[in-house]
This record gives sequence, structure tokens and C-alpha cells, in this order.
Amino acid sequence: MERRELLKMIALATGGALIGGELFFSGCKSAGGAVTFTPETIAFLDEVAETIIPATSTPGAKAAQVGEFMKVYVTDCYDADDQKVFLEGVNKLNDACNKMHGHDFMKAPAEHRKALLTALDKEAKAVQDQRSKAYSEYEKAERAKGSNLPIMDFKNPVAPHYFTLMKQLTLLGFFTSKTGATETLRHIQVPGKYDGALPYKKGDKAWADSI
Amino acid sequence: MAENIYDAIVIGSGISGGWAAKELCEKGLKTIMLERGKNIEHIKDYTEANKEAWDHPHRGERTQQMVKDYPVLKRDYPLNERNLDWWASDKDSPYTEVKRFDWFRGYHVGGRSLMWGRQSYRWSDLYFEENAKDGIAVDWPVRYKDIEPWYTYVEKFAGVSGSAEGLPELPDSHFLPAMEMNCVEKEVAARVKEHYKNTRKIIIGRCAHATVPLNDRQCQFRDKCWFGCPYGGYFSTQSATLPAAMKTGNLTLRPWSIVTKILYDKDSKKATGVEVLDAETMKTYEYKAKIIFLNASTLNSAWILMNSATDIWPDGLGSSSGELGHNLMDHHLGVGAQGIVEGFEDKYVFGRRANGVYIPRYRNFFGDKRDYLRGFGYQGGGSREGWSREIPELAIGGGFKDALTEPGQWVFGMGGFGEILPYHENKVTLDKTKKDKWGLNVLAFDCELKDNEKKMRKDMLNDAKEMLEAAGLKNVQAGEGDGTPGRGIHEMGTARMGHDPKTSVLNKWNQVWDAPNVFVTDGSFMTSAACQNPSLTYMAFTARAADYAVSELKKQNL
Repeated sequence: MERRELLKMIALATGGALIGGELFFSGCKSAGGAVTFTPETIAFLDEVAETIIPATSTPGAKAAQVGEFMKVYVTDCYDADDQKVFLEGVNKLNDACNKMHGHDFMKAPAEHRKALLTALDKEAKAVQDQRSKAYSEYEKAERAKGSNLPIMDFKNPVAPHYFTLMKQLTLLGFFTSKTGATETLRHIQVPGKYDGALPYKKGDKAWADSI
Repeated sequence: MAENIYDAIVIGSGISGGWAAKELCEKGLKTIMLERGKNIEHIKDYTEANKEAWDHPHRGERTQQMVKDYPVLKRDYPLNERNLDWWASDKDSPYTEVKRFDWFRGYHVGGRSLMWGRQSYRWSDLYFEENAKDGIAVDWPVRYKDIEPWYTYVEKFAGVSGSAEGLPELPDSHFLPAMEMNCVEKEVAARVKEHYKNTRKIIIGRCAHATVPLNDRQCQFRDKCWFGCPYGGYFSTQSATLPAAMKTGNLTLRPWSIVTKILYDKDSKKATGVEVLDAETMKTYEYKAKIIFLNASTLNSAWILMNSATDIWPDGLGSSSGELGHNLMDHHLGVGAQGIVEGFEDKYVFGRRANGVYIPRYRNFFGDKRDYLRGFGYQGGGSREGWSREIPELAIGGGFKDALTEPGQWVFGMGGFGEILPYHENKVTLDKTKKDKWGLNVLAFDCELKDNEKKMRKDMLNDAKEMLEAAGLKNVQAGEGDGTPGRGIHEMGTARMGHDPKTSVLNKWNQVWDAPNVFVTDGSFMTSAACQNPSLTYMAFTARAADYAVSELKKQNL
């Protein structure tokens, strides 16, 4: 499909909430400032990411250096508000681990980490629902005014949950990494042809698509 | 000065400029093609073409610095990490928005022919006759029979893949083999055909891709077109018209050449050449020629005309009709629907097809009558969801990863491309209070959707939903997004053609009424917009005008 139409379609289907889609809204917010990611923070984020996408029969998020990717992405692509949410989230996640399991995330065994992030995912989804609702209301109000719906001018009054940001960047960082795209998924640089009815059986890998 | 004299000058090197250069050179004219931006050499300068997302620190996404530097480009998909330097700098080339207009430009050799969507559709008389029939604007001075041979001519060289359908509203091209519809698209097409008793059709998109070898070019189904194709898989200036023009030995290509005005001689009532500002050295040069092809893109061609012959016409060459800069059109989009297609779990695709399906216009045709004029087409496609989908029952962990490792369910979606009528009050003018990096006045945009388009958008939304539901799709979601003019990147109409010099800027041969040796053959000549992607029509009119220009030159009429 024509690239631009595909992007529009995704934005349409998800109310602009696709991964990285937040960037559509970044126009009116302040640009990001200097943020500090210590090696400890990166190691911490690697463990969070690895809990979301662990090594299985293929390498996981840590092998894809997702912690380092998060540092670059949050520093360069996030606005100041989202940077704050993300960085505060590191401590919040650790506090939540202490509350649930009585120890730091880095010391938590795999089962504790899984239980914690599963709970945080639920929390984060509830916040995403509120954000979708806020967007729908904005859209409705704009349409009532007869505007062209310039979504770029919209700042969602509900801040995102830090875990949403971490999970989004884990998925983006992992599946667009070389290992994610070529070992977990499949990628062929030069397909040379198109087959619109390729036989598929359960377990066959997805294509990494246009990357 | 002797070296600055040519037979022909072509201003601009995009889709229509490339065609003008090829045709004029092949007919033996010593031609110079002037391009305001840098050179991009075929293959050699496609630095992104063989890279992958992981070669980029932000995986292709935009940074805050880019958002700051590109206040216009940030409004849509073109702001990205990978081919950013193929989009004009908003800082260097600002413009004024009396009303918001999203202007996405390519200032380099090849222009937007490198990044275009490649969708290519003929017009039929149903479109050419519509202004006259509706009493809107002015009548096209051209009919399908005039342009039909030129469509065929350009298609044979450019390469347009598609399926012969025999539709009166959307005539078949001289096709290369069609790309394949995938299994889900075929199914949805069959269901829509049955439900609407063949009054609405889903066909494979017609696109300028070499699906079989064409002059050593061939599509490889990589879907990396907008980085430039090292295989020449799609039509661009670089892959097609420029090498053909170069081969003649008649072409001189001069990048970094901003044409600031067309030089006009009031005694002979003809243009004598152009004035060029070298964008790098800031030096000014004159180039002389017998004929000039203006292909600077719809808005910039209007800008050049507005700055030309102002001692005779204060509002510029071609302004005597009062229509120069007016009747600005685009296609309005951002409205559509998508849904889930059940079944086909044992099917997938191989290869990345840079094309989708097309639903030609059916509104206000063949007895259908709406509360608005004209209509829209849809582009869309079917695919299985990828890793960015939600897995409701799984939040994290190995099972979650395994689920995302497989493709998801099939979805089919489509978005409308609607016609914008030519309104005299939708216009650009010169803003003499604001300058660009080179000290030149900028354009001011005053353009908006009106009631006709707004009514049409309701149909675009409702029809999309209804059609997908009728085809049995599940969880159909329709949505209306941003319809600001400019986002279609199909700017048209600022120097329209017509029968009468009092109401049009160009005659039926794309000649400026007030300067018959100036031919304007980019989107600015369009008298109405129709709803299909326009570039193929620019190609055909350019080839036709070049043929006419050379024959007139030989008859010493120019």
C-alpha cells in the first residue's frame, strides 16, 4: 500500500495512538531538555525491556540493546513533559516493586518482575483509555466547530502512564532492531516479487515489513 | 554571454519538467533545465536505499530538533529521519498562511518525482466535461480525444502497471502487467461487486512501476520507493526522463538555479529568457531561449509568473485575466474506514507491494445524484496486522513475544481522495513583507474547503463504513481526520487553461495567452481537479505541449 495512506490509516484506526504516534501532538509542547541516563538506568531499562520481550528461542530485548535505544529516543524525540514522565517512571517502577514484593526491581526474581509489569500494564491501559476518551471529546468538539481536525494542535490533558512509554519503546526498539527484525521476525531485503496468497501455517513468522 | 543562449529553457526538474526536457531534447532542441536545488544523482545519491531502520538512531522517527526546524513538514508523515534532506527546508523557504495550508515541497533535481505516490490514472470525458456541465469555473479547452494519444505515449515510456477494466469513468492505460491483489482484497472486491451490482468496483491500483523489465528498470517489491530506487523500479526524473534527455547530448542541467523572473519583450510580445539567481553564489545570470517551459510546480510557477513582466502587468505575466494564482485546488483526504476480515488465516503474502487497491469514483455518475457536486475515489488495501497490534490477553513475557512473532488478523482499510472545486477565492498572492533565505518575496496562501467538500466528506465517511460492512467485515471503524488543503500534495490550478484569455491564463496548448512561447505544464494548468492522482495527466499534457511547441517553432510561429 502507498506508504502515506497506510500511515494515515493506522492513525485513523487508532485515534492517532500508534507507537510513536504521540509525536503527532508534539508541535505545541516544549522541546526536550538535557536528561541524564546513567549506566545504571540503562541497565535497569534493559531488565524492564527483557521482562516485556525476553530471550526465548530467539534473542530478547537486552540483546537488542533496547535500554540504550530508550536513552537515545527519550533524549532526542520526547518533549520535556514525556521525558519527565519517563524518567520519574524509573523510580516509580522500582517503588512499585518494593511495594508489591519487598525488594528492588533489579534484585527481583523473574516471577516477581513479571507479576509487577503485568499489574503495571493493566494500570497503564486504564490511563490510555482515559487518553482516548479525552481525544474523542476533543475530536467531537472540533467537528462541532466544523474544523478540519488539526490533530497536531492537540495536547492530551491526561499524561501518559510511564509504563506505556516503556512498553512502546521496548516494542519499537526491539522489532526495528536487526535481531528483532531478522531473527524473531523475518526480513528479506529484496523480495523481487509479490505473492498475495502465500500459504501460511501457525508458527510461521511475520515479516518485518517496510523497515 | 554566448554560452547562455539555448533553444529551450525548462524551469524545474520534477515530473513535468523532466518530461519537457526529454521531449524537447529528443526533438533536437538545445535545452537547459534549471533546478532551484541541489543535484541528486540516480542510484549514487540514494544513500538510504539499502539501509534498514536499525541503521538509524531513532529508527526513522522524528526528533524534537526536527520538529523545531520544520514547522510545516512536522504536520504529516514527510518529517522523518531517513529522507529528510529531500524535503524543502521550512526555515529557508517560509510562506505565509492567511489560512492554514500544508505545503510539502521537494527542492532538488527530480523534485517530488523521487518521493511521489506513483498512483497513475487517466481522466475521461466525464471529468473534462464536468465544469461546463455544472457551470463551474470555466470549461476545459481539451477533451479526452485530444489527450488520449498522449496518455498512451507517456505510458509506454513511463511504465504504468494496472488491469484493463474497460471502465468509462477511468479509461484503461497502456498497461504493464498489473500487480496482484492479495487474497483478502480479491474477496472484499468480489463481495462489494456483488452487493452493489457492479456499480462500485475495487481494482488493483494503477501505479508507475515497471512490473516487467522496461529500459533496464524493474520493481523488486521492496517498498522503499521514497528513498530512491537503485533498480529504477518506479518512474522518476532520475530513473527515466533525465537519462533519456541526457542521451541526446542536447541537455544541460543546472542545479542551484532559482528562476526569479521570465524576461519579456513587449515589442515582440514574447518571452526572451529568464533571470536566474544562483542559490549558492547569490550571483544573477540571464539565459535566453526561443521557448520556455515552466514546470516549477503549481505554486512556484505562479510565483515566477507573478514576478515577471510587472512593468506591463503589475500582477505579473499571465495576470491579465485576473486568474493567475487563483483557483488553487488539492485533493482532500483523511476520511475512511477499516475493519477485520475473518478467515484466510492460512494465507499470508510474500514481498512488499508498494501499491494498494483503488475504488474509482461512483458518486454523481451514471444517474447517481448527491447534494454536492463531483465525487471521490478510495485507495486502500488488505494486510495482516504486525507487531504494533494489541494482544489483549497478554501484557508481557515470552507468550506475548511469541504472539507478536506471528502475523495478526487480516484487516482491510480505505481512505478517500475527494475533489476540491476551483474557487476563484482560493488563491495565493505575493507577500511583500516576508522574504526567504535568498531575499525573495514569499507566497501567501488563502485557501479552504467549502460546503461542497464538507458535504462530500460525510459521504466519504459513511460510504466507506457502509461498503465494508456490506462486504461482511467485522468491527468496522470509520474516522475523519485532518482535511486541511495541501495534505493531498496535489496542488493544482493557479494558472488554469481555458478557451478565453479573459478568464484563463493558458490556452489549450498550455501557452500563456500573453506570451505564446511560454508553456506551463505542471499542475498549475489544471482547470478542475477530478479526484484521481494527477501526475500522469501532467505527463501527457507536457508531451503534447512540447510536440506542439516544436512544430510551431519549425513553422516560425514562435
